[in-house]
Amino acid sequence: MEKAVKKKATKASLSAVAIMKAYKKHLLTEGSQPKSVFVFMEHLNEEEEEFYKYFSSFEAIDAELWKSFAERTIKAIKSDKAYNGYGAREKMLAFLFTLVEVLKKDRSYVKLTFKRPDKPELVPAWLRDFKKEFDAFSMEVIEEGIGSEEIVKRPILSERYYDGLWLQILFIISFWLKDTSKGFERTDAAIEKSANLSFELMGRGPLDLMLDFGKFLYQNR
Amino acid sequence: MKDEQTSIPTSKVQRATRFLKTGAKVGGNYLKHYGKKMFDSELSRDQLDNDNAADIYDSLSELKGSALKIAQMLSMDKNVLPTAYQDKFAMSQYSAPPLSYPLVVQTFRKYLGKTPDDLFETFTKNAVNAASIGQVHKATLDGKTLAVKIQYPGVADSISSDLKIVRPIASRMFKIGTAELEQYIGEVESKLIEETDYSLELKRSMEITGLCGHLEGIKFPTYYPELSSDRILVMDWINGLHIKEWLATNPSQEQKNEIGQRLWDFYDFQIHSLKQVHADPHPGNFMITDDNKLGIIDFGCVKEIPEDFYEQYFKLMKDDVLNPDYNLKDLFFELGFLSDKDTEKEKAFYLEIFTEMIELLGRPFRSKTFDFGDDTYFKQIFEVGDRVSKMKEIRNSKTARGNRHGLYINRTYFGLYNLLNELKAEVITS
Repeated sequence: MEKAVKKKATKASLSAVAIMKAYKKHLLTEGSQPKSVFVFMEHLNEEEEEFYKYFSSFEAIDAELWKSFAERTIKAIKSDKAYNGYGAREKMLAFLFTLVEVLKKDRSYVKLTFKRPDKPELVPAWLRDFKKEFDAFSMEVIEEGIGSEEIVKRPILSERYYDGLWLQILFIISFWLKDTSKGFERTDAAIEKSANLSFELMGRGPLDLMLDFGKFLYQNR
Repeated sequence: MKDEQTSIPTSKVQRATRFLKTGAKVGGNYLKHYGKKMFDSELSRDQLDNDNAADIYDSLSELKGSALKIAQMLSMDKNVLPTAYQDKFAMSQYSAPPLSYPLVVQTFRKYLGKTPDDLFETFTKNAVNAASIGQVHKATLDGKTLAVKIQYPGVADSISSDLKIVRPIASRMFKIGTAELEQYIGEVESKLIEETDYSLELKRSMEITGLCGHLEGIKFPTYYPELSSDRILVMDWINGLHIKEWLATNPSQEQKNEIGQRLWDFYDFQIHSLKQVHADPHPGNFMITDDNKLGIIDFGCVKEIPEDFYEQYFKLMKDDVLNPDYNLKDLFFELGFLSDKDTEKEKAFYLEIFTEMIELLGRPFRSKTFDFGDDTYFKQIFEVGDRVSKMKEIRNSKTARGNRHGLYINRTYFGLYNLLNELKAEVITS
């Protein structure tokens, strides 16, 4: 009997994708994580250790799912013909618009898992891989922006630009989750306005003139 | 008249700066709000709304003196305020920065499932024109040049909430009861919301241009429903000069009269035969093509004229209303210019004022031809308007006078008179 069960299980040997799918389904139908990995795997007629082949915890599944959102977004924008002609600002805008489209397919899941960290400098474990992907993307965009002089290199500050863009993406996701407008049009407006502002700030502008003037006053007092 | 005119913010730029100022202040209020909120999460939105309300109020008070006055006089009551709002909301959009190309692509993906590059042979990455609530790109397809109008996201959504902030101020500012204000704001709100519905605009454009197709010397663009949606509208690109530019080429008086006549006939046909009218005679919506045709675009704001209102309103324009034995009083009651609540003294006062205005504003209808180039006529209109708006009886009156349907009809005629005056055209009016 025991042998039979085991045989059946190996036959349907679970892939990482299947575990992720089952986990997501549980989360969405029950509204919370399974009680334990044991209970979860028992529902799947599986041994607990099968789970650990792929993931160390449920949070690790969340991290993987979030990472896939970023990966899908980047893949989608880079496959668009127009993308290569874009400047830095437009590339970031394309990322944000597309990300929201990607997240839209999993809005309920995003709503359940996305909790804005209390302290922005703390990145919860499930969001870490997503952040890594996004940071890599935004650093690429920033570098390109600096190359095209769309973005100004400033001492100390310019190494932290990507932190600003990270806060912006957190803002946009939570704005979108609260958005009640038809087709999430307000989110589109929020993305457009916030990205325009951040690129204005990173570009040459009053900030530099103010610093320059301040420096002048300091030196000539 | 000169002084009057300089005080009226007619040009887009002037009006835009006025509202830019308000926009900047309101934006500042939001920043202030979120700034405070960082330290005090208990802070309510009330403070923010109050701050906004005060700044919008300031800006509207400025308008009160100029644009509002004309509108006021034209609708023959003190409730034209909504027209000022409408301008305000239309103008506040002019200050919006252009949509980025990724957002244009996003809008296409969302509503048509394809990118502009998939749909058109060429498509300008930057907008070539700002429309009141969106922007226009130029595209080509199958040898045709097209105008592609794209709406700013979130406009439709914000209209009602914007009007909600403005309502209480309006009622305080103009000392009008809420119920009376409501029917006017309601009228404006419904028109504004209609303007954000490009599918409706497409339907109406095709319908009206179809019905007006027989009018001579007028050119309408062809519309492309298969490329349009709720937020995207595609039509032929019309090449031509705007009226100001055309006038700079020194056309002859005959040519000016001809264009003026086409304009008049276009409106006459819509109002009297179709009973629905292009209610936005803004100079930007008219073009004169190389072969001297009048090109007409933008059917975003269309007023349908109810039958009973039509009957009453156009009685005012007839010859016989000014005969001493005509019972104008009853007609004024029907149109809501006079109310049962008025005292005998008030009735006499308003009867006199409205009679004077009807004589003046209906004058083009009471002769065979009318010379709109006659500046003394316009001067007279401004003078009467100025005098009436300064009367304390008018300023302190708590009753709304007039009919909400009149709002857009008056606006249409006012715009039409102005265009014809600019053209200095003499027109056969009846």
